[in-house]
Amino acid sequence: MPHIVRPIQAVGRTTLRTVGAVGRAGYLAVDAVRALRKVSLWAPHLVGQMAKIGVDSIPIALFVALFTGIVLALQASYTLTGAVPLYFVGALVGKTMLVELGPVLTALALSGRVGANIAAEIGSMRVSEQIDALETLAYDPVAYLVVPRVIAGAIMFPVVVILADALGIAAGLGTAVSRLDMSAFEFLKGLRLFFETWDVWFSVIKSISFGLAVTSVGCFFGFHTTGGAEGVGRATTRAVVVSTMIILALDAFWAATLLK
Amino acid sequence: MFDVEKAFGGTPILKGLTLTIEEGQTMSIIGGSGSGKSTALKHMVGLLRPDDGEVYVDEQNVSRLDQESLYDLRRNVGYVFQFAALFDSMTIAENVGMGLRRMPSLNDEAIDERVVECLHMVGLEGTDQRLPSELSGGQRKRAGFARAIATRPKYMLYDEPTTGLDPVTTAVIDELIVRLSDELGVTGVVITHDMKSAFRISDRVAMLYHGGIRFEGTPNELRMCEDPVVKGFIEGRPELMGIAP
Repeated sequence: MPHIVRPIQAVGRTTLRTVGAVGRAGYLAVDAVRALRKVSLWAPHLVGQMAKIGVDSIPIALFVALFTGIVLALQASYTLTGAVPLYFVGALVGKTMLVELGPVLTALALSGRVGANIAAEIGSMRVSEQIDALETLAYDPVAYLVVPRVIAGAIMFPVVVILADALGIAAGLGTAVSRLDMSAFEFLKGLRLFFETWDVWFSVIKSISFGLAVTSVGCFFGFHTTGGAEGVGRATTRAVVVSTMIILALDAFWAATLLK
Repeated sequence: MFDVEKAFGGTPILKGLTLTIEEGQTMSIIGGSGSGKSTALKHMVGLLRPDDGEVYVDEQNVSRLDQESLYDLRRNVGYVFQFAALFDSMTIAENVGMGLRRMPSLNDEAIDERVVECLHMVGLEGTDQRLPSELSGGQRKRAGFARAIATRPKYMLYDEPTTGLDPVTTAVIDELIVRLSDELGVTGVVITHDMKSAFRISDRVAMLYHGGIRFEGTPNELRMCEDPVVKGFIEGRPELMGIAP
């Protein structure tokens, strides 16, 4: 009998934990929306967070984009040679960078850098009672800690992604010219042929949602950290895992709703 | 606090705790580790909400206050944390000035003056531009004390303010607590394990045991108390409390 009961108990416990976490996330979201009006608490920290979340993330985002652009051009050539004119390499690199790989790979890289950093920072503040200290000094910790990070994420992720898109396409162009016996003119011809302004907007919309997701998840797990240094480690890992899952789910959601 | 009950993860910590602290008095709360002293203190300022029961400060039911009213109440409360809880990315001056920056009546100059004054009171002159990581444990604790008193609160809550301090600094902090109470009429609640401090600073002492009050009275009444649990605790004799040494 215990053999039957135990898995059911485990499922029950996991369900309860998940429902509890969703409930707490809902409360935090409501608190964050309410805290928006406390501009004097979050506004002074916005620029600093934009620099930390956005500017400091540019090197890793560009590193990812550079190699993605190179590989895309080489794989496009490998796939298309003999089937369609080679200038389609430009079309494929451009379209793929803007619509899919630019936003998604950048967001995944940033979920490790930004999401983990936020969870660790806020988690450490939680376990060392710094968040309680903020409360006793009449600071709303959601307005002070969560709001500037989430707004900074929503503003800076698209900026970083657009830079990554541009570098990825440039890397594809450089690879096409140097390795594929193509001229820059041919590559750009293909790029222009299928280019639509909407693709840029699509990239921006996706990255705003990724920015919101990564920063919110980092804040959530940081805020609910318990159990000292081990708890901070756990919160950090969970923040990265959950934001990665949300990025991929959002990616599918945007493709299904906006690419028609 | 009236009939306050609080449990964490199914483990009851406070079991019907009832405690009254008179205005202008300093009440020390003593008790073994895990007896719920810090939990009780956090209820007084709304950092924790009771599962059952009520907590009143200034005739306001803390557990039912909305967020803004709670922040208004907290502007009258200074809280000294057990491990200082200084903001590690800020200098000591910024830490001490944090609460002052929420007071619209003070300009930058007045804040700076108050910070210097508070750091002087706790013997931390010249540390204002240092980071918490550059201070010793005792200095951090005193900086936390300076931050708590900077807003000149009506109520002070101290969570083990002298644990880990040397005897001289302990005496300085004790003296400050007494002065805040005697000269400024500040109402204080002190969580402490240090019986010497408790006898020195308290108007009344309460002992928490198994989630409720085991003893409440003046320091003299505490000295005379014949309850073996209370006597065992203040004299450090576990055999009296039924604990094998």
